[in-house]
Amino acid sequence: MSLKYTTVDDIPQIHQDLRRAFRTGKTKSIAFRKQQLLNLCYLVEDNWERIKDAFFADLGRPREEAQLLELNGTLGELKEAYDNVEKWAAPEKAPFSWLWFAMSPTIRNESKGVVLLISPFNYPLYLLLCPLAGAIASGNAVLMKPSELSPAMAALLTELVPRYLDPELYQVVNGGIPETTKILELPFDHILYTGGGRVARVVLAAAARHLTPVTLELGGKSPCVIDPKCDVKTAAKRIMWGKLVNAGQLCLSPDYVLVPEWFQETFVEALKNAYYELHPIDPKVSGQVTRMVNESHAARVKALIDNTKGTIVFGGEVDMETKYAAPTLIKDVRGDDSLMSEELFAPFLPVVPVKDVDEAIEFINERDHPLNIYVFTNNSAFKEKVFSNTRSGTAAANDTILHVMAYGMPFGGVGGSGTGCTTGKYIFDTFTHKRCTTDSPGWLDPALMAARYTPYNKSAFRLLNALLKPTLPPRDGSMPLATKLSYGAVIALAGLAATWLACTGKLDLRLPLRFLNRL
Amino acid sequence: MADTLPFTPIDEIPKIHRELGEVFQTGKTRSIAFRKQQLLQLCYLLQDNTERFQEALFSDLGRPREEAAYLELIGTLLEVKDAHDKVNKWAKTKKSPFHFLWGTLSPQTRKEPKGTVLIISPFNYPIWLTLCPVSSAIAAGNVVLLKPSELSPATAALLTELIPKYLDPDLVRVVNGGVPETTKILELPFDHILYTGNNRVAKIVSAAAAQHLTPVTLELGGKSPCVIDPKCNAKVAAKRIMWGKLLNCGQLCLAPDYILVPESFQDEFVEALVNAYHELHPTDPKTSGMVGKIVNERHMKRLKQLLNDTKGEIVFGGEVDMAAKYIAPTLIRDVTRDDALMSEEIFGPLLPVVPVKDVEEAIAIVNSMDHALNLYIFSDDRAFKDKVLNRTRSGTASMNEVVLHVIANDAPFGGVGGSGHGYTTGKAGFDTFTHFRCTVDHPAWYVDSCCRASVPVTH
Repeated sequence: MSLKYTTVDDIPQIHQDLRRAFRTGKTKSIAFRKQQLLNLCYLVEDNWERIKDAFFADLGRPREEAQLLELNGTLGELKEAYDNVEKWAAPEKAPFSWLWFAMSPTIRNESKGVVLLISPFNYPLYLLLCPLAGAIASGNAVLMKPSELSPAMAALLTELVPRYLDPELYQVVNGGIPETTKILELPFDHILYTGGGRVARVVLAAAARHLTPVTLELGGKSPCVIDPKCDVKTAAKRIMWGKLVNAGQLCLSPDYVLVPEWFQETFVEALKNAYYELHPIDPKVSGQVTRMVNESHAARVKALIDNTKGTIVFGGEVDMETKYAAPTLIKDVRGDDSLMSEELFAPFLPVVPVKDVDEAIEFINERDHPLNIYVFTNNSAFKEKVFSNTRSGTAAANDTILHVMAYGMPFGGVGGSGTGCTTGKYIFDTFTHKRCTTDSPGWLDPALMAARYTPYNKSAFRLLNALLKPTLPPRDGSMPLATKLSYGAVIALAGLAATWLACTGKLDLRLPLRFLNRL
Repeated sequence: MADTLPFTPIDEIPKIHRELGEVFQTGKTRSIAFRKQQLLQLCYLLQDNTERFQEALFSDLGRPREEAAYLELIGTLLEVKDAHDKVNKWAKTKKSPFHFLWGTLSPQTRKEPKGTVLIISPFNYPIWLTLCPVSSAIAAGNVVLLKPSELSPATAALLTELIPKYLDPDLVRVVNGGVPETTKILELPFDHILYTGNNRVAKIVSAAAAQHLTPVTLELGGKSPCVIDPKCNAKVAAKRIMWGKLLNCGQLCLAPDYILVPESFQDEFVEALVNAYHELHPTDPKTSGMVGKIVNERHMKRLKQLLNDTKGEIVFGGEVDMAAKYIAPTLIRDVTRDDALMSEEIFGPLLPVVPVKDVEEAIAIVNSMDHALNLYIFSDDRAFKDKVLNRTRSGTASMNEVVLHVIANDAPFGGVGGSGHGYTTGKAGFDTFTHFRCTVDHPAWYVDSCCRASVPVTH
């Protein structure tokens, strides 16, 4: 499907219109936001089949996979925003503090203004509409720039968004590099970019000129660390499943596997069996595995697999004509292999044998912090060792991918895998300015705050300082005397009370005494 | 004073940065007990050296000792102690609320340090704006490279001496210098950067951070307006505004920058401001020393120019003593929107009063500028307050008071738009330097039925 690009010269006007629309104050109304969010839910619900067609046209994605993961996942997030927008948007009172309560510190959740969303090709619905829901819920106007590498979806959204949503506040701009460059010259109140590190730097540099805050959802090589004592069959199946979702074109994909050398054959066998269980028929025939999004990516992954020095267990073919890359398992992969040089974003699963878990941890730490770390183990000490000694955006044990949907979790990267969080309430907060407010009553001055004024009244000033200045515990960090004395007093009081009650017969001590005797 | 602050040799800077990274890798800072101990030490660093800090602030800024004591020093101690008291709570792993679909995954959020944090602090509140974020970074388990401002060299030198004495010398490393040293620092990769200062340098910091994908928090400034309701308690309002304006000689991002009054009320409010000033300063501050001085010649020249160019009417003040770096507290009335005094953040003891037709015009003027860090409203009328709050945007908003709202614990303090982004103080500061790492653990016994599209094709 051909995608019509926005005229570059029109882009500043679109941006200007969005700013004007935001300034009307229309988005302040929670009722308005709720209605827009509901309309967004129906945009997805009413167009289920057309969306699946677009996935198939852009990526050859199997319809069942599209339904189960991206469609359900997206609708779940949109509905969560719709259900919670009042709660999220309500002002919050700061926790009580005896020093400042009189000033009634309150946090107002205010919209930032005009938000820019740049989304990638691989999950073109989820990675645009979920942050869009967050931006709508937080009362912003939005300029969306979907990826031109998934043109069918971009075209579909360009058609549907103005039909379902307020066309003045939510606009789609299409294009490639010239159009995106134009967009990035303009000032936004927040930018969310989902994609790769190279373009992320360009986005950040552009944002720096306007001091625009930026959230980045990037990727990286998400490793799977295997404990040989894990449930091998389940682990292999969950990893293979996760790898082949969208043919590995997913920031959550398990990128490669780290196993102890002596365990490699066993685990490779389990992965092979898992693959044949998932795909008894060659996916090239069954259509159960998505293809590469375009020629450039097909060529990229072909070079990676052609240059590997590992041993291909099965797969290895890349059909440039159909852009289909066969699911491939490779063992005996070393750290400097072509397959370890970049995020794969392909249905290739390298298995890297290491000496032990310490070497696995070192291997991970030598590289950029990944978006996810996957550990397969039933031993909590093993799990904790890997989690505590590595850094990653997220960390999941005994499964892949699903954790992104878990309710109430801040999903986001760290270091090279990104910054900020983009799910649930966290994306609402991302696009919200927390404006703290106070309201100081007049009586605060006569009640002591007058001591702050010059000319200083020595005694009032001393009193103010005494009230404000905190008391420090002893330097060695031991329990302060005051605390010891209060505990002592409480225990003494409790003892006295118990004695009095026992003496007056109100407390029967026979049972506890019998117990103490036994000891 | 610059010659008493030795600058760090540029060649040493990458080594310091590397050493910080190595310390972080040892995992030393993960221990909450370690962090608490360091934070306690930081409290004692402040408490034990109150007088030396007062001397340094006096040397750098002519800050009156009482003002230094009750505002910056106690304020900082309160924040650092708060971090010490709450670090266990803040750092605790958080379990997600139960959800029937995802409950079996045991979703949790771990609070993890980001790594090596860079803090660049300014001259005006060189203790608060340095040690408060340092305490947040330590509480969150990070290591810190601290670059205090060379424009307040006495304080920078004192911090350089005291920090390795009180804290683990590997934990916080101080680097001193000017533009070349800061440029070198910014070439290096950090896990988070906090910059407090002005927009011009903020853009440079952001551009440098972009090369390493480093997240940045910016605490900037702007022109913080005071919107006056004629029905307010003019005496109290005028006193609080004048007090806030003259703190640190107006060199405070929280300072009330200018006042918006209805034309019909200008005379009365100006008189209230005059009275407030004479109440606060019955003796000329040039003699009493109760108002500090301007930090350096460059800022003196800047402020002198603003005074020369203003078309408003000077009610009192206006004297400039370049040698002493002293500018008299000055009240100017009948200032228009396009006046020189309205062209930039004043950061000095000049208080312009801008008469407007009504609150609508006041709101229009506020909205015609970059979002300020603070908006001050003086009114006892709920509807008036709500109108101004709802129709404007600012980092923070304080009603019937100035400056003090920054210390109100657990209310995130931060700018928006031109006044910055991200939050500091209290838990918000801890969160800024923390990576929220979500984790799940999916038991094998959970049948892989409903969640996967792994249905074999049967044709």
